[in-house]
Amino acid sequence: MKIEEFRDFSIGDYHRLFKDKEISPLELVNLFLERIKEGEDKIHAFLFVNEEKAKDEAQKKAENLPDELLPLWGLPVAIKDNICTRGIPTTCGSKMLENFTPPYDATVVERLKKAGAIILGKTNMDEFAMGSSTQTSAFGPTYNPFDRRRVPGGSSGGSAASVCSLEAPFALGSDTGGSVRQPAAFCGVVGLRPTYGRISRYGVVSFASSLDQVGLITRKVEDAITLLEVVSGKDDKDSTCAPYPPFGRSEIPAPEEIRKLKVGVPREYFPSGLEKVIKTKIQEVLEKLKEEEIEIVEVSLPHTSYALESYYIVAAAEASSNLARYDGVVYGLRVEGENLQDMYFKTRTLGFGREVKKRIILGTYALSSGYYDEYYLKGMKVRTLVRQDFEEAFGKCDLLITPTTPSLPFFPEKKGRDPYEMYLNDMFTVPSAMAGLPSLSLNCGYDEGLPVGLQIIGRPFEEGKLLGLALFLEKLLALPSPFPLFKEDNNE
Amino acid sequence: MREVISLQELKRIAQVSKLELSEEELQGFFEDINNVVSRFEKLNDLDLQDISPTSHLSWSEPPFSSDEPRAGEGGEEVLKGAPQVANGYFVVPRVVDKEEKENEDRRV
Repeated sequence: MKIEEFRDFSIGDYHRLFKDKEISPLELVNLFLERIKEGEDKIHAFLFVNEEKAKDEAQKKAENLPDELLPLWGLPVAIKDNICTRGIPTTCGSKMLENFTPPYDATVVERLKKAGAIILGKTNMDEFAMGSSTQTSAFGPTYNPFDRRRVPGGSSGGSAASVCSLEAPFALGSDTGGSVRQPAAFCGVVGLRPTYGRISRYGVVSFASSLDQVGLITRKVEDAITLLEVVSGKDDKDSTCAPYPPFGRSEIPAPEEIRKLKVGVPREYFPSGLEKVIKTKIQEVLEKLKEEEIEIVEVSLPHTSYALESYYIVAAAEASSNLARYDGVVYGLRVEGENLQDMYFKTRTLGFGREVKKRIILGTYALSSGYYDEYYLKGMKVRTLVRQDFEEAFGKCDLLITPTTPSLPFFPEKKGRDPYEMYLNDMFTVPSAMAGLPSLSLNCGYDEGLPVGLQIIGRPFEEGKLLGLALFLEKLLALPSPFPLFKEDNNE
Repeated sequence: MREVISLQELKRIAQVSKLELSEEELQGFFEDINNVVSRFEKLNDLDLQDISPTSHLSWSEPPFSSDEPRAGEGGEEVLKGAPQVANGYFVVPRVVDKEEKENEDRRV
């Protein structure tokens, strides 16, 4: 079989092949490994390919095909490199953790393995998940599979690029202010950030604990549903994980019920700076939904334009505190110094990259005495207003539809460019993250070969409705799944 | 860009964060951080007096774990990731300077 035959596959299709003995898990893993070899020097989605162990695991599975297949049995999965994998390096895209190999699995990884999945490798990311371009990785950037001159988005850029190019059938990412949805939009795949607390964060390297959430990157909405069923649910090891049972597909309304949902469109998500083609594509989708007799209402989220500032204060403050643990003592890099203090300084100065240092300094400033009220407290108060906006809007509708990003995939950051411009890329993904709401990005079309992402936002724990509408839209739009050809450049 | 944080203040914050910045880095951060922080002033447009802050999100009462001893994970494994260990302990460079130590001893 050839890898391109899997272009429109979802998990059930692979399972059918296993059952019919048309392919074994080992043959499947080998096809993905070949695809990685073909693609990696072009897109650099992986920081580590788990070749030997993945083959061993696949071989074991190949020898013992059960009658009843576990939900992810025999399927390779790519994991963002800030999620701990026992015995497999976990670097967070940072020199600080370059030689770190976790002695345990994150809860999500444990659950994937239990469901029969095979760890294919660890994917590239912005250092400590701080960025929207996968340019800040200490190990070199990832390139957009549709056009290598452009960024794949970030921080889960490696995960999104690997799924887009079919180097992996699906992947885990993490989303603090948009790090799953924005790269999914830039790579034309599905990116789901569930409700804060839906998925355990145990074993996920902390960036901003009140915002971090594991996310799922897939080629089909169907696979996001299966993955969510596997990884969600209560975890005694994470007290911020909601004590609820795992998500179940029975929570998804039937298609006829989907037509009764009311969809809100927040007017603040269509500002003058929005790229025209994105506005056009989203409006086309809204028209199609109207033709399907789904009611569309305009709503307002008046504090949207303040959300980004509030987010950068809160996220930097939490990051400065979380990253204090990298001191050269227990794990990670140590640079020897004359005494303890000197060792701290040398280790942190060499171990962290520029963007991380910037955010640590910003966060330390926002939390320091005399500035706490001015910045951190204000940031948290605005967060309350952003949450209240959503609560009010959800009194008038069941789901919201917005663009995922204000622009198409952009070119790498040029020196001297206003750093705030980069932050603006997160303007549509940050507010729902601050409110902890489930949000999903779905490809809704292409403009000159580049994908446009549409975002659906739901009420807390209403992933059922969210995924129901996503399935409905996916069917309605009937776009082919991406299969970029790894051309050197896309000038023709 | 408006100067909200002075160069001196920035140096102090870097010290507190245990980061050494070269003169060139310091200048770059001075511009970048002031650029970002000056935009935070936009939040002053809002009347936040009676708004309670959101520090975290919780949808239900945080669960309690049972107060029973359990075997921890890792053990030996955990130490494998450490830069320096001896006899099952993490090793760090000298914490108390020699002179300080001598003074301490004299006082005793």
